Amino acid sequence: MDEQNHKKNQNSQVQSPGNKTGEELDAAGKSLSEALRISFAILKVIMLVLVVIFLASGFRTVGSDEQAIVLRFGKIRGVGEERLLGPGLHWVFPYPVDEIVKIPVQKKVNLPIDSFWYYQSASELLGSGSRRKDRVPEKLNPVTDGYCITRSEKQDQILTGTAAGSDYNIIHCKWQLTYKIDDPERFFRNVYVDMEKIPAGQNYTDVISKNINRPLEYMFADAVVTSMVNYTIDDVLFEQLAGVTQHVKNVLQEKLNAIESGIQVVSVQLTDKTWPRQVDEAFQESIKASQERQKAVSEAKTYAEQTLNKVAGPIAAQLYAALQDETVSEEQKEYLWSQLAGTAQDMIAEARAYQTKVVASAQARAEYLKKILPEFRKRPELVMQKIYQDAIVEVLNNAEDKYVVQPVKDSKGREVRIYISKDINIKQSEQK
Amino acid sequence: MKSMAITIFVVLIIAILALYLFSFQVREIETALVTTFGKPTRNITEPGWYFKLPAPIQRVHTFDSRMRVYEADLGETTTKGAAPIIVNTYVVWKIVEPLRFFNAIGTIKEATSKLYSQISDTQNKVIGQHAFSEFVNSDPSRIRFKQIEEEMLEELQKSLADANYGIEIKTLGIRQLKISEDVSKDVFERMKAERNRRTEATKSEGDAQARKIESDANLKKEVLEATAKARATIIKAKGDAEAAQYYEMLEAEPELAIFLRNIDALKEILKERSTIVLTTDTDIVRLLREMPQIKLIEPNEPQIQP
Repeated sequence: MDEQNHKKNQNSQVQSPGNKTGEELDAAGKSLSEALRISFAILKVIMLVLVVIFLASGFRTVGSDEQAIVLRFGKIRGVGEERLLGPGLHWVFPYPVDEIVKIPVQKKVNLPIDSFWYYQSASELLGSGSRRKDRVPEKLNPVTDGYCITRSEKQDQILTGTAAGSDYNIIHCKWQLTYKIDDPERFFRNVYVDMEKIPAGQNYTDVISKNINRPLEYMFADAVVTSMVNYTIDDVLFEQLAGVTQHVKNVLQEKLNAIESGIQVVSVQLTDKTWPRQVDEAFQESIKASQERQKAVSEAKTYAEQTLNKVAGPIAAQLYAALQDETVSEEQKEYLWSQLAGTAQDMIAEARAYQTKVVASAQARAEYLKKILPEFRKRPELVMQKIYQDAIVEVLNNAEDKYVVQPVKDSKGREVRIYISKDINIKQSEQK
Repeated sequence: MKSMAITIFVVLIIAILALYLFSFQVREIETALVTTFGKPTRNITEPGWYFKLPAPIQRVHTFDSRMRVYEADLGETTTKGAAPIIVNTYVVWKIVEPLRFFNAIGTIKEATSKLYSQISDTQNKVIGQHAFSEFVNSDPSRIRFKQIEEEMLEELQKSLADANYGIEIKTLGIRQLKISEDVSKDVFERMKAERNRRTEATKSEGDAQARKIESDANLKKEVLEATAKARATIIKAKGDAEAAQYYEMLEAEPELAIFLRNIDALKEILKERSTIVLTTDTDIVRLLREMPQIKLIEPNEPQIQP
C-alpha cells in the first residue's frame, strides 16, 4: 500500500508540470494530487502514532514487592546491582529487543505439606471423631497413608538379632513451609516455571507458586524424612519441637542453596502431629501415667513443704542447707536461726523462757538470802520460824478446803472420813 | 526529503523481516540447537542473539535449561538384610548439552522415562548395599541417611554421564521412606509394647520420686528438730550455768538455802486446788486446841517477838 501511494504520488508530481496545455486535465490532476497529498499526510500521522505507541509500550511498572530482570536479546542486561530493577516506572526497548520479567521478592508464600498424614476419607475430614476409632485399619497402606519414621529410644540392653532393623517408630505429622524468593536472578535462571502455559490475563508472577510448589514439596518432604530419623517420637511429640523444626529448616535451606534456587525458607512449622491411631490407647495410658507421676510428685512436694514449714517456717530449706554446708559462715547461720519459726522455734522459745526463769529465780533467791542473812545470823530460830509460818499461811490461804481434825487419845481403830469434792464447778456454785 | 523518509522506512521493514528469518534469540534460561537440513550443526549454551539461515535450511530448537523436578514413583526395594523398604526418590535435573539431549532423547517426556529406569537401577543398587539400620537407628551416630542419598546421587550422576544424555542431576532426595503394610502391623505391636513398658516405668518412677521427696522432707524435719533441740538444751544449760553463779552466794548458809528452797517448793506444790487436812497437833493450828504457855525471858534481852 505504502509503495503504491508513493508511486502514484510521484506520477502526479511528474505529470503536473508537463500537462500545462490541457486545462481540464490539469484541474483534474490537481484535485487528484490534492487528495493524494491529504491521504498521505493522514497516513504519516497514523504511522507516527503507531511509532509512539510502539515506544510507549516499553514503559513498565514494577510493583512495590517485586524486582524485575530485563533480558536484552535474551541476555540479562546490566552488571552487578544494575541487573535488577526496583519498584517504580521503567522504560525498556519494546519486544523483541528487551523483555522484562517481574519476580515477587517480598511476598511470603505458605505451603502446607500433608503428605505425612494418614489417609482420611471425606467424611473423616468433615470430622466425626467418635466413630473414628471403630474404623482404624490394622495396617498402614504405603500408598495412601503418609507417615514419618523416627528412631526409637536408645536402649541400654543389647537388642536381639531380629530387632536390629526394627527399632523405629511411626509418626504422622503436618507441616507448613513459608518461603520467599530472595535472589530473583538465581531463581529466574534456575527454577523451572512453565512460561508457555501462562493463562491469558496472568503474568510470570501469578504462575510461580503453581509451578514451584511441587518441587518445593518434594524437597521439603526430603528434609523432613532426613531430619526425622534423627529424633525419637517423644522428641517430636513432646520434647524437642523447636529443635526438630530448626533441623528441618536447615536441611531444606541447604538443599535449596545447593541447587542455587534463590529461594529462602522463612519458617517451618509443625502444624499437627500425632502418634498412629493404631497405638492410641497405649499412648493415652502413657500420658495418663506421666500426669499421675506429676501429680504424685507435686503432692509429695506439697507435703515436704508443709512438713518443713511446720518444723521451721519459711527458712527451713535454707537453714537445712546451711547446716549441711560447712562453707556457710556462722553469722549466716545465726541469721537463719533468728528467722526460725514453727515447732523448732517453740522449742527454742521454751528453752529461752526456762533460761530466763531459772536465772531470775536463782538470782531472786540469792538476793533474798543475802538480805535476810544478817538478821538470820542474829536470830536464826525466829527468822526461820517467820519464814516457815509465812509459807504455811500462804499455802493454807491458797488451799480451797481446809479441815482441822482433833485426834482423840487412844483413838486406835477410829478413823476420820472427809468427803472431798473434786468438781470445781460444784464448788463454785456452792460458793455463790 | 519525503521520499528519503519513506525509503528508510521501507528498508527498516525489510530489515526486520530479514532479521526474523536470519537470526534468533537464545534467552538466559534456554539452550539451543541449530539443525541444517535436519542435521544438528550448532550447539548454543550462552544466551544472546545469533544468526542462522532461514528455514527450511536451518532450524532452531530451544530447550529450557532450568531445573526440573522428577519423581520416580517406585515400589518396594530390599535393603542389605533383605528387609523390604519403600523409598520414593525425586531428582532435580536440567538439560546441559542440547546437542546430546537432542540426539539421545529429544523430548522431556522421553527424558523422564530414561530417568525413571536410571533412578530405579541406582536405587536398587545403592539401597541393596545398605542395611535398614542405616536408614533409621536408635543410635543416631549410626544413621547414614544423608550418605545414602549422596551415594545415590553420585551413582546416578556417574551413570548419566556414561549414558551421555546431555542431562545433569543437580540433586537427589528421598521424599518418602516407608515400610510394607505387613511390617507396619509389627511396628505398631512393638510401639505398643514399648509404650506400655514406659507407662509402667513412669508409674514406678513417679512413686519412687514422690517417696524420695517425702522421706527427704522427713529427714530434714528430723535434722532440724534435733538441731533445734540441741540448741534449746544449750540455751537451758546456759541458763543453768548463769543461775549457778548465784548458788555461790547461797553457800554462805547452805542449810538456810535448802530450807528456803523447800519452802518455795512447798508453795509451788500447793498453789492451786489443794485440800489440806490438819490435826490440831500441828504446830500452827495448835491454838485451836489450847493456849500456849509462854516462858518469860530475862528483861535484859532486847529482842521482841515480831
